[in-house]
Amino acid sequence: MGRKILLVEDDRETAAYLAKGLGQEGHSVERATNGQDGLFQATDGTFDLIILDRMLPVLDGISVLKALRAAKVETPVLVLSALASVGDRIEGLESGSDDYLVKPFSFAELLARVNALLRRREARVDPADHRITVGDLEIDPLSRIVRRSGRKLELKPREYLLLEYFARNEGRVVTRTMLLEQVWDYHFDPGTNVIDVHVSRLRRKLEDGFEKPLLHTVRGAGYMLAA
Amino acid sequence: MPTTIRIALLAGLLALISNLVVLGFIQWRTHDEAVSAQRRTVVEQGAVLADIYNTGGMRAIGDGIEDTLAYGDPQTAVGLFDANGRQITGNLAAMPRTKGPLRGGYQTALIRFREQTAPHEAAIVALKLPHGQWLISGRTIGYGLELRDTLERSLLIALLGAVVLGLAGGIIVAQYVGRRVGSIVAVTDRISARDLTRRIPLSGGSDAFDRLSRQINEMLDRISALMEELRMLTDSIAHDLRSPVSRLQAAAQAAAETSDSAERDQQLSNVVRQADSLMRILTTVLEISRSEALTSRSQFAWFDVGELGAELSEMYEPVAEEAATVLRFDRPATPVELFGHRQLIAQAVSNLIENAVRYGANGGEILVRVSRHASQLEIAVADHGPGIPAERRSEALRRFGRLDSSRSEEGAGLGLALATAIAHLHDGKLKLDDNQPGLRATLELPLTRRTAGA
Repeated sequence: MGRKILLVEDDRETAAYLAKGLGQEGHSVERATNGQDGLFQATDGTFDLIILDRMLPVLDGISVLKALRAAKVETPVLVLSALASVGDRIEGLESGSDDYLVKPFSFAELLARVNALLRRREARVDPADHRITVGDLEIDPLSRIVRRSGRKLELKPREYLLLEYFARNEGRVVTRTMLLEQVWDYHFDPGTNVIDVHVSRLRRKLEDGFEKPLLHTVRGAGYMLAA
Repeated sequence: MPTTIRIALLAGLLALISNLVVLGFIQWRTHDEAVSAQRRTVVEQGAVLADIYNTGGMRAIGDGIEDTLAYGDPQTAVGLFDANGRQITGNLAAMPRTKGPLRGGYQTALIRFREQTAPHEAAIVALKLPHGQWLISGRTIGYGLELRDTLERSLLIALLGAVVLGLAGGIIVAQYVGRRVGSIVAVTDRISARDLTRRIPLSGGSDAFDRLSRQINEMLDRISALMEELRMLTDSIAHDLRSPVSRLQAAAQAAAETSDSAERDQQLSNVVRQADSLMRILTTVLEISRSEALTSRSQFAWFDVGELGAELSEMYEPVAEEAATVLRFDRPATPVELFGHRQLIAQAVSNLIENAVRYGANGGEILVRVSRHASQLEIAVADHGPGIPAERRSEALRRFGRLDSSRSEEGAGLGLALATAIAHLHDGKLKLDDNQPGLRATLELPLTRRTAGA
């Protein structure tokens, strides 16, 4: 399912590379090369997602973002930035963006986040049945009870949050950084394999005693929950 | 114009001005003194003559004037003039000259004695008689003025001496100042020429020049230390980046050369991994500089450090388990509220825990403890690994101060430096102690902040 994405990026090479990649995923991409044009096109409001570079000529990304939110344009925004410090990330998120990605990034990372944001929009539009099912896995967010093939799984609170996040992004790649940000709310790069350790523990609980794997490792990108 | 001459001239000028002021003051005062001393005598003498006129009329006044002059006092001036100002009797050649028209009563005026040409300043009493005649009686105030003249002459001589002394003093002061400033300038000149080893010699006193010199010297010490740190930092960044870059280069080369697609994929993901680790090093270096430069506390907020510690311990507990050790956590029963940057504190603590897991895991359990001591908060991470010898601890806190350079884990040397920078941002510090055995790294943060709530 193709979506309309606005890409506001002044660096020609990056813009072309991203537009091509997103086009191959079936999305239609419109481009703007400075903040003012970007704001103009974005206020049109017919986009499903806006990818916004932070440092732009004429009007910088944060100002564009603030102007958009002030104008009640609620389109999800993914901010791209070469500013990597924790403070910069927080500032980016606090000025109304839905996600923040630090340059340089892999296309897989970008795609994972784009899909997560588009998915969130879907969920917002259509609040489905509160229960989430992935194959034979059944998650009840209210009671936090998880069953696989009817068998109840004992998860620790954090493991549950991790699984729920995976389940809400079923069939989509979720990166380690996304997990750290969304499940733990930390915005720094951990030096160790802390995320992998947690994921592999969750995987053991999900898959031990079952034949079919659910939690897949996507090489060079992250993880994906899929039946 | 050289400074020396300028200062000398200035000192001379000041001496001149101050002496002129004194001179003027004395002249003004002596004049007034002389005048007021005469006043009473003059008024008395005028009253006597007026009495003589009132009792004896015109005839008696002529005798009265004669009597008055008969004393032979050269200061006495008496005269009777008709309505047209012509002299009738007395020792005055003409009517006294006053600034305005002549009034009755006491005043000062210029008088001229008979058979004399030079006028004298005098205090007089003028009395207008019924038929328009003027009776003038007074005394010259020459005595006071003579005194003043003497004073003036001595003062003028003193003035000349003062100016000469002032000039000489100025030259001495200027030369002294010039010498002291010169020694400072000589050093700063050398510093401009990039020689940071020079220091300004001190005279051993505590005058303003010594204070200035000491301050410049301290500033130089600090600059040299910073330069040295910067040089080491650049060296170590360059050094530390070499290995990931060459690994990346090797992987890229291997990927380019191989014809086996599985092998190529393997090498390419290797390239990505090495690039990631490079990126992580650079991000951390930037993060350190940012924390050090961060002045805005806009992202500061109150949060419970005990809660944060619990969260991080829970997060790293499985990692410790993988490394075949146990991570224990301890905190006070009540919340420990800190006004700070939650994300940065989390990063600092997680760096300490990661260090403990990485280097201290094989020695037994790791203890993470949040505690409060009076107005200070402590977050300690203690392991039972090999620890760091006391003499190498300050080195360990420096950027890239990795103690074992053969370690292949990238960027590990930055963790403690970043934690230090974050502690400084919160007006605190990072302390390394012996855990007997092992390392105990403690973040010490003040709980009462002057900016709290701001």
